[in-house]
Amino acid sequence: MSRHRIVKNLDLDDEMDDQAFDSEGEDYDDMTEEQQVQMSSALTAVHSVLGSATPITDREIRSALWDSYFDVDGTVAFLLDELHKKEAAKAKAEAKKLARQTSQPPSARSTRPSTPAGSKPSTSTAKAVPKATPLAGPVSSLRADLEGMNLLPSSSSSTASSAAASELMEVPVDNSPPPAIAMAKEKILEEVKERERSEKPVLSLVVVGHVDAGKSTLMGRVLHELGEISDRSVEQNQRQSQKMGKGSFAYAWTFDALEEERERGVTIDISLDTFSTSTKRFTLIDAPGHRDFIPNMISGAAQADTAVLVVDGSSGAFERGFEGGGQTREHAVLVRSLGVQQLVVAVNKLDAVNWSQTRFESIRSQLQPFLTQSGFQPTKVSFIPVGAMSGENLVERRELSLDWYEGRTLVEQLDSLDVPTRALDAPLRIPVSNVFKGQSATASGLAVSGRVESGIVQVGERLCALPGDESGAVRALEVDGELVPYAVAGVNATVFLSGIDPLHLNVGTVLCPPHQPVPVVSSFTAQIMVFDLKYPITAGYAVELFHHSRDIPATISSLDAVLDKTSGAVTKKNPRMLTKGSSARIHVQLRPPTSGASRRTTIPLESFAANKSMGRVLFRRGGETIAAGIVLDVIS
Amino acid sequence: MLLVKQHIERDGSGYVTLRPQEDEDMWHAYNLIQEGDELRGSAVRRVTTESSTGSTSSHRVHLKLTIIVSKVLYSALAQSEQPSSSSSAAASGSTTPTETLTTAPTTGAASSTAGTATLHVSGKVSSENLHVKKGAFHTLDLEVGRDFTIIKQEGEWDSIARERIREVTEPGRGAEVGAIVCGEGLANICVITNHTTIIRQRIDVPTPRKRKGGTTALGADKAHSRFNQQVYAAVLRHFDFEQLKVLIIASPGFTKDAVYQYIMEEAVRTGNKQILQAKSKFLLLHSPSHHVHSLAQILSSPEISSQLKDTKFAQEGIMLDKFFKMLEENPLRAWYGESHVMKAAERGAIGKLLISDEIFRSPSVQRRKQFVKLVEDVKAYGGEVLIFSSMHESGQQLNQLTGIAALLTFPLDIEDVLEEERQEAEEKGVEVTEELS
Repeated sequence: MSRHRIVKNLDLDDEMDDQAFDSEGEDYDDMTEEQQVQMSSALTAVHSVLGSATPITDREIRSALWDSYFDVDGTVAFLLDELHKKEAAKAKAEAKKLARQTSQPPSARSTRPSTPAGSKPSTSTAKAVPKATPLAGPVSSLRADLEGMNLLPSSSSSTASSAAASELMEVPVDNSPPPAIAMAKEKILEEVKERERSEKPVLSLVVVGHVDAGKSTLMGRVLHELGEISDRSVEQNQRQSQKMGKGSFAYAWTFDALEEERERGVTIDISLDTFSTSTKRFTLIDAPGHRDFIPNMISGAAQADTAVLVVDGSSGAFERGFEGGGQTREHAVLVRSLGVQQLVVAVNKLDAVNWSQTRFESIRSQLQPFLTQSGFQPTKVSFIPVGAMSGENLVERRELSLDWYEGRTLVEQLDSLDVPTRALDAPLRIPVSNVFKGQSATASGLAVSGRVESGIVQVGERLCALPGDESGAVRALEVDGELVPYAVAGVNATVFLSGIDPLHLNVGTVLCPPHQPVPVVSSFTAQIMVFDLKYPITAGYAVELFHHSRDIPATISSLDAVLDKTSGAVTKKNPRMLTKGSSARIHVQLRPPTSGASRRTTIPLESFAANKSMGRVLFRRGGETIAAGIVLDVIS
Repeated sequence: MLLVKQHIERDGSGYVTLRPQEDEDMWHAYNLIQEGDELRGSAVRRVTTESSTGSTSSHRVHLKLTIIVSKVLYSALAQSEQPSSSSSAAASGSTTPTETLTTAPTTGAASSTAGTATLHVSGKVSSENLHVKKGAFHTLDLEVGRDFTIIKQEGEWDSIARERIREVTEPGRGAEVGAIVCGEGLANICVITNHTTIIRQRIDVPTPRKRKGGTTALGADKAHSRFNQQVYAAVLRHFDFEQLKVLIIASPGFTKDAVYQYIMEEAVRTGNKQILQAKSKFLLLHSPSHHVHSLAQILSSPEISSQLKDTKFAQEGIMLDKFFKMLEENPLRAWYGESHVMKAAERGAIGKLLISDEIFRSPSVQRRKQFVKLVEDVKAYGGEVLIFSSMHESGQQLNQLTGIAALLTFPLDIEDVLEEERQEAEEKGVEVTEELS
């Protein structure tokens, strides 16, 4: 048998085999010189991805690389997969040990699997105080509700309970029935609070600005400098972009992966990534700047806590983005109306004006009043001069001509942002921003991604998809590319669902617990701020309503009152029209898909008072944002 | 529509016999037939006869029936759905928003190009015959190619109705325009005629979006090609390129280019001569959104108005645009709402009157007469009147805006007018009390 075969037949799980192989002495003697070079370069690449702290040995990497013909990505995926399996097995063994330690023998438990105490293994194992009566233990109200409503499949309750008892932390990766809920909500809350002290808080950040201000390039560069993306992939992008004659787009290609985006050199859809600074973890949302793709940008900005507004500092370009039809204004106003309070203005491309301080100051003096007027507190807005292409003042200062600037670098500034408080106690809400078939190394199947706006979601939980009448169980949860047992408000999670027809999951669907559903409505009242618009708003105005990632036609059916901007008092009832800059209370009706049809369009919506992040709406018409507002009351 | 026979007395009573020839004619018939009119048309009725022994036999007879109309149901796509836009809905007049337009089939369930619109008119039979007793209920289904006669009472053949008859029986009118309003994974296939916009098909292919790190999700390419295929199939099914004047492909972003490219490539690949020859009819336009209501903006774009400026939908779009522009520039010269417009008309201030056809479908004779008079008055003093079709997007938007609006020739403050009237009323009141005392 040739050496190749030996390598291929190796069972990586079996350490003994590995050692036997190693003891045979000199490595890969039948590798050609070229292959050896490839091997060493690929090895470093894999190391850079996995990091030095990985428990995966060099040997494993080498053999995996050989197996995959030096495909670095494939190898990494494979190795991580193996690692997960091993960890799961370890966790399984530990859990068994734990289970044995508890006073009840496992056999005794399996004899009465249908009692809630039995189906709540985590409470017994974690707290190590097994209770005999079903009600005495800290049984999660959620679980009880589910059972009360007969929402759990009767067959799975017995299998799941025993399975969960032994496989406490194992996350399922196959199509087996979903595991039972592992932890009580109170327990998670405790753990989250514990973690808050030890771990970096998560903050989501959207990057906005006029088209071609350099948003994607800036963030691509930041990720590279922070070591979040490898040199290799940057080099690859550089090579490919040069081949297409678009060398300056190399960093932007980190995000602009769609063929069309690369061809045209504009970002079309949002893309998500993560990075960490010294005290925070960031979910980065790169948004398109082109006016045609503002719906996508809104979908991204709705998931953000903070924003970076990128403006083009080169002469004439800032003015183009700021005056007239530029998107700088619209984006700034949009992110503010979507609840972003802290803003970092990155004045980009200052290298084109020789790092001129006067230019920087003039841009600041033009933007500052506008931003204040748009509702940003001056203390929460900061201006940073940067040069994305040269990487200046992102992570560190290099340029001497920028010595007039004494403030923080971009990353330092991001690091100093405040983290808003999360609505952990509120009912779970996940507005879906993407539906796809998962195919990552860790989990597969129907998946949706979106930000957890409030509450907590955990594996095994049953979730309702609204609007609609479908529900499914959470099979697995992925945050930042890793499987987790639960996800809390503020993070962007990928939820793998089972037992639900993909037809009922759309972009714009809201996932929520069946016993705490979001009201699904077709009309509501809102308090709005009218922006700059071409024509005044009248009753019967046809608009597009934006709510998170949803975008549906609606009609402003009546104008109830004009309000005073500061006090909110009614200044005029039943106005004939609303002009720019006014504040008003209006009534909104969704338009049926086809008029005359008996079906109604509906949208899951909550009043701002009930849930802040679910009560913000935007109105657009003719490609312009005409108003933003909050939902006062939903009418079902 | 073909005018077979017409006899209208000076007092406005009389009958008109018409033969519908295309789908759009059903819409006109819907606008002509009012509650209370008599309608004569061919019908099929099952007649049950009982023999002397008590056994029954039934057979179908074709006959001409005259009914007194009590309910009119219009459906742009007959069999599939029952629209709520019956006369009962119209009863609430301009306050009921978003009637009409169409009922669109779901993807794939589309029917053929012609003969999809029908009109169901029900009422009591008014003239007895061998098979049907007087007073029995019957529903007449008007169809393309079958004659029908509308008989109206005195004064009912008003100027609006006569104008419509004149307009629709004019030969050689009708520009059919196709429109594909699309966005990422979404498309609305519409056919626009002079008076109607019909959504033939909606295509919705869920497309997975970009994933973390920029990698595309599995199946995005597949979804794209499926979307393109569906659009191409819909184009073949719903558009007759010989009749089509223009085919608009409108979208935000780059979807329109992708769709156009695919249609052309596919036409070349399959050797579809019809499409290849009609290449000059394709018109790529920017649309602010993928929703059908963007059609109002698309159709009032300069590209369209230069090519199709004499068509009704282009005129409507431009007029509505003018109104909103005036509302912005000089709100005292743009009025809307029934009572307000009436007041403006009293003062002879109306330069341009925008009025929805829905108002003339009101079941109340008095209300109809009131508006007919308004239109006649405005025309009499040289004002321009444009009756919007509520089957168009622009007409729908006007319906939302109370169904009636006017551009005034001189600025008039509504508050002043109201104040004046109050004073007048007071003076009158004083006079009355004086007289009484």
